Amino acid sequence: MEYLSLIEKGIWFGLAAIGFAILFNVPTRTILVIWFMGALGGITKLICMHIGFGVVMSSFAGAGLIGFLSIWAAHSKHSPPMIFAIPSVIPMVPGAFAYRMMLGLIKLAGDQIGEDYDTIVAETINNGLKAIFILMSLAFGVALPMLLTRKESAKDIRLKKIMG
Amino acid sequence: MPNNSVENGATATGEAMGHSGRDIKELGKTLLQIGTLLMTSGANSRRIRTTIDRISEAFEVSTELLITHRALMITIHDSDEDYHHSSLKRTSPHGVNFRMLSGISRMSWRVLDEGWSLRQINEEVGRLVALPHYHRLVILLMVSLAGASFCRLFGGSWLDMLVTFGATFGGLFIRQETVKRNFNPYLCIFFGAFVASLIAGGFLKFGEGISEHALATSVLFLVPGVPLINSFSDLIDGNIMNGIVRSVNGLMISFAIALGLLLAMLVFQL
Repeated sequence: MEYLSLIEKGIWFGLAAIGFAILFNVPTRTILVIWFMGALGGITKLICMHIGFGVVMSSFAGAGLIGFLSIWAAHSKHSPPMIFAIPSVIPMVPGAFAYRMMLGLIKLAGDQIGEDYDTIVAETINNGLKAIFILMSLAFGVALPMLLTRKESAKDIRLKKIMG
Repeated sequence: MPNNSVENGATATGEAMGHSGRDIKELGKTLLQIGTLLMTSGANSRRIRTTIDRISEAFEVSTELLITHRALMITIHDSDEDYHHSSLKRTSPHGVNFRMLSGISRMSWRVLDEGWSLRQINEEVGRLVALPHYHRLVILLMVSLAGASFCRLFGGSWLDMLVTFGATFGGLFIRQETVKRNFNPYLCIFFGAFVASLIAGGFLKFGEGISEHALATSVLFLVPGVPLINSFSDLIDGNIMNGIVRSVNGLMISFAIALGLLLAMLVFQL
């Protein structure tokens, strides 16, 4: 894998995250951090996919990293973690899989049953399930630090304690 | 519900220790407003509950909350159980606003740490409600840039990115206009998706060297990220009802996007 294309992709991940951050009206002081978190999460996902984790586990790894970074960001920028985490994971939302599933469903609802009907069924189910599992892993990854530390608020989490 | 504000207890006996019935009622009203603001701005159920609990703790009262998507109910009583107050408040239409979440979160800590009075809280809430959004042009440009970034990430060329940029710009513009004219929220999303995919589909049909990525990513600015992520975090947290309601909302939004996309593809016979 080329480092240059990885960095380029990171920039786009960050920009996509910022676009949604602006749409969600985040405080201005958080935007740069969101860009970095979106980029780092995206790069983590790409590296994991390159190693061969599969798209679901790679998304989970990316979202998990964003989850932990969001705790740190919440401490330094004085905003709740979800404000950083949600815009940052949105570039990883499985839009392409959902789109292909939808196209498949349209074909399945067509007037005739063609010879490749079985293949379309298999592809549609595959794309749909991937979309659902990726979404679940994104939500779970973002919530991971809160679940692991069993705290009510990110303010009670001491990062140094977790890292040892 | 005949009365949405019922006071029980020894209001007639006059001032007791700590809070009077009137204080409790005012506090309940403010807490409900904070709760509904959090709900409409995109907080999950746990955040609403912990924020309300944190402020109640500062005022040394205990509160019980019933959180739903469209209404919040609160019962509040002081430590001696002398005064009770229950009320119900409907939530206004939902619109994600993270500046509100951040502001209320900071405020709740300052209430606890600095011992704010109720009047200070009301003033701060008023200030947060009046805070401006980003300029409309900034939103349009940045979200369109995000759409173009998506296109690049899915493997589109520079030309595809340009098409996605334009399609997202048009779609978001139409969505904002329809929201302003108070259309049904799902219909607004349908219009946005239709216009965006109409623009991208037109280029795909009649343009040279435009790939399918442009069409696939032109509607991604509408993905219901906040409802779906909040849905899962509510489900994980045990707020199953709220989780289901939020996921159905997310599904309805996805359905509206698909419908818009479908119609545009039908128009161009793609």
